[in-house]
Order: sequence, then structure tokens, then C-alpha cells
Amino acid sequence: MLESKEITKAFGSKTAVDHISLSLEKGHVYAMLGPNGSGKTTWMKMAAGLIKPTSGQMLFEGQPVNIDSRRKIAYMSTEPFFYAWMTVKDVGAYYADFFDDFSWDGYHAMLRQMELEESMKTKTLSSGMMAKLKIAVTMARDAKIYMLDEPFNGIDLLARDNIRRCILEHADENKVLLLSSHLVEEMEAIADKAVFIHQGKLMEVDDLEEMRVERGASMADRYREIYGHTEE
Amino acid sequence: MLKLMKYEFRKTWFTKLILLGITAVAEIAFLIGLYLEKETTLGLSVLLLVFLALGGVLVIGLESVVTLHRDLNTKQGYMLFMTPNTSYSVLGAKVLECSLSILIGGAFYFALGSLDLTLLFAKSGELNRLWEIIQDFLSRMTFANRALIIDMEGMASFVFCLLAGWILTVITAYFAVVISAALLNGKRFNGLLSFVLFLALSWFIGWVARIATASIPSINVLLLVDGAISLAFTAVMYVITAIIMERKLSV
Amino acid sequence: MQFNPSLPIWTQVLEALEIDIVTGKRQPGEKLPGGRELALQFSINPNTAARVYQELEKKGLCSTRRGMGTYVTEDTARIFALREEIAGQAVCQFLDTMELLGISRHEAAQWLLKKED
Repeated sequence: MLESKEITKAFGSKTAVDHISLSLEKGHVYAMLGPNGSGKTTWMKMAAGLIKPTSGQMLFEGQPVNIDSRRKIAYMSTEPFFYAWMTVKDVGAYYADFFDDFSWDGYHAMLRQMELEESMKTKTLSSGMMAKLKIAVTMARDAKIYMLDEPFNGIDLLARDNIRRCILEHADENKVLLLSSHLVEEMEAIADKAVFIHQGKLMEVDDLEEMRVERGASMADRYREIYGHTEE
Repeated sequence: MLKLMKYEFRKTWFTKLILLGITAVAEIAFLIGLYLEKETTLGLSVLLLVFLALGGVLVIGLESVVTLHRDLNTKQGYMLFMTPNTSYSVLGAKVLECSLSILIGGAFYFALGSLDLTLLFAKSGELNRLWEIIQDFLSRMTFANRALIIDMEGMASFVFCLLAGWILTVITAYFAVVISAALLNGKRFNGLLSFVLFLALSWFIGWVARIATASIPSINVLLLVDGAISLAFTAVMYVITAIIMERKLSV
Repeated sequence: MQFNPSLPIWTQVLEALEIDIVTGKRQPGEKLPGGRELALQFSINPNTAARVYQELEKKGLCSTRRGMGTYVTEDTARIFALREEIAGQAVCQFLDTMELLGISRHEAAQWLLKKED
């Protein structure tokens, strides 16, 4: 459904993504893993059409990502990005204005779940509330692909259960979910595939249950194996 | 497109509101000065109104350039570029919103100025000195070394020419900002280079317009043609800028 | 439910469902949650949830009626056998530990009997 072919992005002399060929198939929840600066965010932003690749291609259903793919790919960046003047309601109105697949009902339901009020100003939200708002508005879309960059960052333990539930509610056989997080253990049970990226290169893609059966290794175990010797 | 324009307006409406507020205060001061015959109040308010008329459209244009810069270089840009809109629509909405604001703002100040001058003229018997100063000022105004015709038509042509020129300047600044973000990003002297590019382009377009209009005998026609040339260049700059955004821009 | 992430999640959920079935928390013939619902209840991937039902069905503990959903088997003999299976596993585990400690089966039996609640 979403495929990168030898995709590369260089910022000046630094290569953020280095010839990554990766295909994400529908019906799976992918955990994208790698230390800071390994290229996860850049790969996602290329899939969202926010960053243009230096070379290689990013294909959505066989076509290079473009305006149409933005209609079907819901992307949530790590950083808050709403306009400073917006209230929680304005954020919903903005999505409703631009995305046909946005559901007010879904948005309201998630706001309740996350204990957010429509009248709250985004400028004054705590980082945890902002993180929840980003998820709520992104997941209120009925997209084909959801890419969530660090969905658990800044969110307390109890609310993480809500987020996991919200993510799982959207996982079905026709969709792709791609999550990146440093909180590897939060994704162990909800993801079924793991994508390991290191210094801009794709290391491997694993089926998590297979890995547990065959090697008795969790995603976190594998993470340690791959990156353990490279980090001090 | 309308939705994009709505949000472009939403980003800048506060400044416009403030401008409107100050203008209202100045206008009230003007009317008080005029009818209660307080010369100092009147003089100051006229000065302030002239300043607002010139500065208002300037501020509107500058703010739109700053907004574009922010949309291209901060996280806020995701908001715009994650939406299913091409660079042509995104930039088009900005150009249209800004142009309309400048034109409407300009027309508003022109209308207000005409009204105030008419009121002033009606009372010119008592306020001779100020009226003379204004007339003297108007008669000294020139464009391309030619005297302007001081009537409604002449002034309207002049204002149109100025506004169109300012719109072109703003779009040229857009172009420089986009070049800076899309092509020079991360390079040394990025800001300086794009500023030099902006100056060079502005100079070049001005030169073309001067040559194209040099042989037009009527000053009013010259003003209109010059304005039209500005708008034509605006359209060209818009297309080039949008193409660069579409192909090269990463936010 | 807390999982051991180094072991397959589906086996852990399967075991939890089996316990529910033998203890009667889920009655014979009772409708089980759908795959998606199971995924949400246990906070697990839907594919993992589907796997749980596949295995449960393979073990004859549930049956899927087309378009109706998944039901706990009404074969009480099968459930009784499962009970023995789980009990057997528990005993084996116990005996393994005892063996590791060098405690004989006879001694182990004494331990069991004298263990107060």
C-alpha cells in the first residue's frame, strides 16, 4: 500500500534517509524503531509529502505520493503544529475544512475520552494535552494510512491506554498503521511488525509474533541486540 | 481555495483590525478638529491618516511575507502542507488574499481620503492654511518625472498604480522567501542571497516597466499601464514561485 | 493484562481464554467477542487476536458460525479434558521446580499436603 523505493534524503552533507526500500502492507500495525536521528521522521514526512526526496520514490498504491495521497494518509508529527490562535474546536474545524474523511462525531468521542474541551486554547495546553489533541484530531480521520510519530510522548501512563485503544480501533485489514516511538514497550502488543532503522538505513523488518516464537525475543530485546553495541 | 483564503485571512486579521481601529480614532480626531476648529488636532490627525494610508497597505503586505516565511520555515507549515492542496492553491490563496487586502485597504483609504478632502474643502474658508499645504503637496507629486493630474481620475489611477506595484513587490518577496526555503535552505548566506535576488528582480521589473511605458503621452494611461504591468508580473512571479514550491519545497 | 513480551502474545491470550472456559467464566455455547473486540479488550493487535481464535478453534474449544461469530464449544467433555490438560501442566511445572531443588516426588507430595493456605 505504501512503498519506498531506494528513497534517499540528504540535508546538506548529512544523509537522513539512505536508500530505504520498504513496503508497508495493509492490515498491519508497524512499529518503526531506531535511535534519535535515525531517519524515521524524515521517512514519514516523505510519505506525507511534506519533504521531497533527494532521490528514489515514495509510492502510495503504486503512484508517487501527491495531493491525492494526502487525502488518504493521516500524518501526525511529533511537534505541535496547530496555529497559535486555534482552540480545540478550531483544530477540528480546520480538519473538517480540508479532509473529507474527518468525522466530528469521532472527534468529539475522542475529546471526551482524552478529557479535552472544545473551548480550550491550543496555546495554553500542557504538552500532554497537546499530544492527546494531536492524536484525537488525526484519528478522527477515516484514512487508509495513519502515521503517528511518537504518539506516546509526553502522555501519562493512564492516558497511554486510551491512545493504544484509539489506535487499535482504527486497525483493520484494509489499513496501515505506522507508529514510531521511543517507548518500545508501549507498542509490543499492538504492533505486529517492527521496522528497524539505523543511521538512515533499513536494518530489518520483523514479524513480532514469529520472532517471539522462533527466538523468544521481544521487540525490545531485538532493539537492544541491534542498537546495543552502537550506543554508548 | 476559498477555505485556504479564509485561513490566510484568519492568520492576519488581527493586524488589520488594529489598523482599522487606529484609523477610526484618527478619523474621529479629524472630524473633531474640523468641526470644533482645533487646528492642532486637525493637523495631527491629517498627518496620522496620511501615515496610516501609506503604512497600512505596507504593513498588510509585510505581514503576509512574514506569514509565508513562517509557513515555510516553522512547524506551523505542516498545517498548511499536510492538507490536500497543491502549491498552486496554497500560494494562490496567499497571493489572492494579500492582493485583495491591499486593494481593498487601498480603496478604503482612498475613499476616506477623498471624503476627508471634500469635507476639508467645504470648510476651506476657515482653514485656508492647511488646505493650501495639501494642495501644494498634491501639486508637487510626480510619477516617472511627470506631474500628476489632481482630480478623482488622476488620483485613482495613481493609487491603483501604487497598489499594483506594492502587490508585485510583495509577490517578489514571496518568490525570494520560497527560493530561500526551497533551494538555498541550509546554505551559507541564504538570507543575504535571497534578499539580493529580491532587489535585483525588483530593479529589473521596474526597468522593464519604465521602458515599456516611456512613450505613453498621457500620465493617467501611463499609470494604468504601469499598474497592469505590475499585475502581469505578479501573475508570472506567482506561477514561477508555485512551480518551485511544487517541485522542490520541503517543510 | 500484562504480557511477557518475549513470549508470543497469542499464546498468553489463548491461555487466559482457556482459563476462562474451564473455570466457567465463559460458559459452553457462550458467544465470544469478535476478533476486533478481543483485540480491544486485551489491547493487542487484531492479527494476534485472529490467531488466538484460529488456535482456539484448532484445539476444538470454540466454533465459528459463519456470519454469527465465535462460540465456546458445547462439548463439555472437551472442556473437561482441557481442565485436565491445564492441571497436568501445572503439576509438571511444580515437579520440574522440585526436581531442580533435588526434592523427590514423594517428598514433593508431602510438601503439597502440609502447605497451608
